[in-house]
Parts: sequence; C-alpha cells; structure tokens
Amino acid sequence: MSFKPDITFKILYIVSWIIFVGLSIDAGGFISNTIFTLFINPNGASKFWPGLNLSGLYQFNQSHFVTLTVLMNIVAVLKAILFYLIVHIFHKKKLNLSSPFNASLGKYIFLLAYLCIGIGLFSGWANNFTLWIIKQGVSVPTIQDLKIGGADVWFFMGFTLFIFAKIFDKGIALQTENELTV
Amino acid sequence: MPIVVNLDVMMAKRKMSLNELSEKVGLTLANLSILKTGKAKAIRFSTLEAICKVLECQPADILEFVKE
Repeated sequence: MSFKPDITFKILYIVSWIIFVGLSIDAGGFISNTIFTLFINPNGASKFWPGLNLSGLYQFNQSHFVTLTVLMNIVAVLKAILFYLIVHIFHKKKLNLSSPFNASLGKYIFLLAYLCIGIGLFSGWANNFTLWIIKQGVSVPTIQDLKIGGADVWFFMGFTLFIFAKIFDKGIALQTENELTV
Repeated sequence: MPIVVNLDVMMAKRKMSLNELSEKVGLTLANLSILKTGKAKAIRFSTLEAICKVLECQPADILEFVKE
C-alpha cells in the first residue's frame, strides 16, 4: 500500500524551510555580530541586531556582554538545528507514510525533544541572567527582543515531545513484532 | 530467545525445499525464511497448523524450548 504525501505535508515542508532559513540568519547574524563587537569594533554593540541595542551592557561589563551574547547564540543555534532536523525529516524522506513507525523517525523525535529541552534550559538561564542585569540598573532590551523568551514553553514542548517519542518507541516495537509474526 | 525453531530439521527429514513448503503452506518465502532463521517474534496458530499438516508432524517437532 503506498501513500502519497498530501498538500499539508508540502506546505509544512515549505514553512519548515522558511523558518529554518530565518533562524539560520538569526544565528549567523548573532555569532558574526558578537565576534565583530568583541574583536573589531565595540560600537557594534549599539546596533547588535535590528531593535537590539546592547551598548549599555557592553559599557557596564564586557564579560556580562559576552555571557549574554553567548547564551543568545546558543539558543539561536539550537533553534536552527531544531528546524534543520525537521527539514531533514521531510527532505531525506525519513517520513515514510506507508510505514511511519520506523526507528530513524523515532530517533529524530527523541532528538527534537532533547533540543527543545536544551533550548528551554538555555533560554531560562539567559532569562534569569537578563533579569539580574536589569536589577543592576543596566538598560537591556526586552527578553522578546533578545529572542530568549518562552523558556517554560520550550520546556513544556520538550517534555511533551519526549512523552510522544516514548509512545512512538512502543509503536515501533509493536510494528516490528507485527512484521515478524508469521 | 529460548524458543528454537527446528523447521529446517523437519524439512530435511521430509526432504522438502523452502520453495516447495512455501507453495504448499501458502506463506511467502520471506516469511518462511524469517521463521526458519529464528527471527520471528510470533507464529499464528493457523500458520503452525498449515506447516504441521504439510510436514506431517506435531508442533513440538518444530518448536523447542531450550534453557538459556
């Protein structure tokens, strides 16, 4: 029995690509601007990213600036990797609709769950660090502008995905048993 | 697995090839091969019945429990 991917899958594939490209631009921009500000021109902190002025933090303490930007970079890279994996699932035809419960897709779902939890962890850390900096009286852009918001949501999504991955694992075992029943 | 499939022994006793058994039992060669090599996780009663009928034997001649 063969299944043809319907229009929803094609739309999801295109949207995943668009999000992946956007997140890659974000991650690449953050990394290059961090390097540019630290090693080439400190004025880069004032125009770190559209709507992001980190000059106050840079002037307050350079190591705090490095900590925050590194956390932002990690979160941005993890998000890009997350969508790279999603695009990879569609692109490499890992999503075999005639036999959806396969070990490789199960592994991908586990990886996505771990990535979501990782993003939640680093976002939460960056969140707390930003709040601490604000308490020191330094003007810092909002958490949404820093793109480190929604740590709890990432955690929630990660654990939900983890539970789904476990159920999926059970499905794979059942399907394998069915296939090996003669 | 402690359950050993002795299908090949019975086939040799009856001088029957896998192809012939597959035709007579109505199972695909791939499935019979899974059973013969011990990769099968389960066997249906209907399959066991058909094999026993063709090979003129008892289920115990095909399946054996061996302590690990």
